[in-house]
Amino acid sequence: MDPLLSVMRTAASGLQSQSMRMRIVSENLANIESAGAVPGADAYRRKLVSFESALDAVTGAELVSVNRVIRDQQPFRNEFRPGHPAADASGYVKMPNVNMIIEMADMREANRSYEANLQVIKQAREMISMTIDLLKGA
Amino acid sequence: MIGGLTLSSLSSLPELRMAPSFGSQTAGPAPSANGFAAVLMDFAATAAGAVRQGEAAAIAGVQGSLPLQTVVESVMAAERTLQAGIAVRDKFVSAYLEITRMQI
Repeated sequence: MDPLLSVMRTAASGLQSQSMRMRIVSENLANIESAGAVPGADAYRRKLVSFESALDAVTGAELVSVNRVIRDQQPFRNEFRPGHPAADASGYVKMPNVNMIIEMADMREANRSYEANLQVIKQAREMISMTIDLLKGA
Repeated sequence: MIGGLTLSSLSSLPELRMAPSFGSQTAGPAPSANGFAAVLMDFAATAAGAVRQGEAAAIAGVQGSLPLQTVVESVMAAERTLQAGIAVRDKFVSAYLEITRMQI
């Protein structure tokens, strides 16, 4: 198989994985205030993505794919909100264990990885075009 | 639509192989007695297949059933195949023209 074609496939799998990561970040950020509905109920647990390499049978290239989405087991934030429906006897509500700074950093990283993969595609495409252009001249 | 293109102009093109095959006689389809046309049907099939796949991916992308990255990848593969095909065709056409211009 043409190596440049497998470059395309590999980079595309990178793009997909990073967009999945982006999706998880957005879910975490959107649910940053999602507490439980009844007293003492658990709030939204932060999600984490783990990646794994996957062999592509057609090209023999090692692609990347999302292995699984796991839940962050860190403790919830406890906030004092006596009026909240999920407040316990002493007025504390379990809030999601999402840290906005961490999510922002993760988003940035996903963005950078996405850009890197895009750059790989651009470069490979240019190399292919240059090779085909050999036929056109003269 | 890309698939709407008639590929009859490509019906006499060889499969383009980018892998280095210097010194090996096994690469590429063996030339048949029929010359270009028969040999190169193979390539037309490959090109048409890639273009069709790209178009299907584009439609699936519009419907939202395929991730954008896959759509882009398939369409780019189709584009590449088509470009290679056209380049090879132009080469052959100019070769034929060269023969026609021969002094008799």
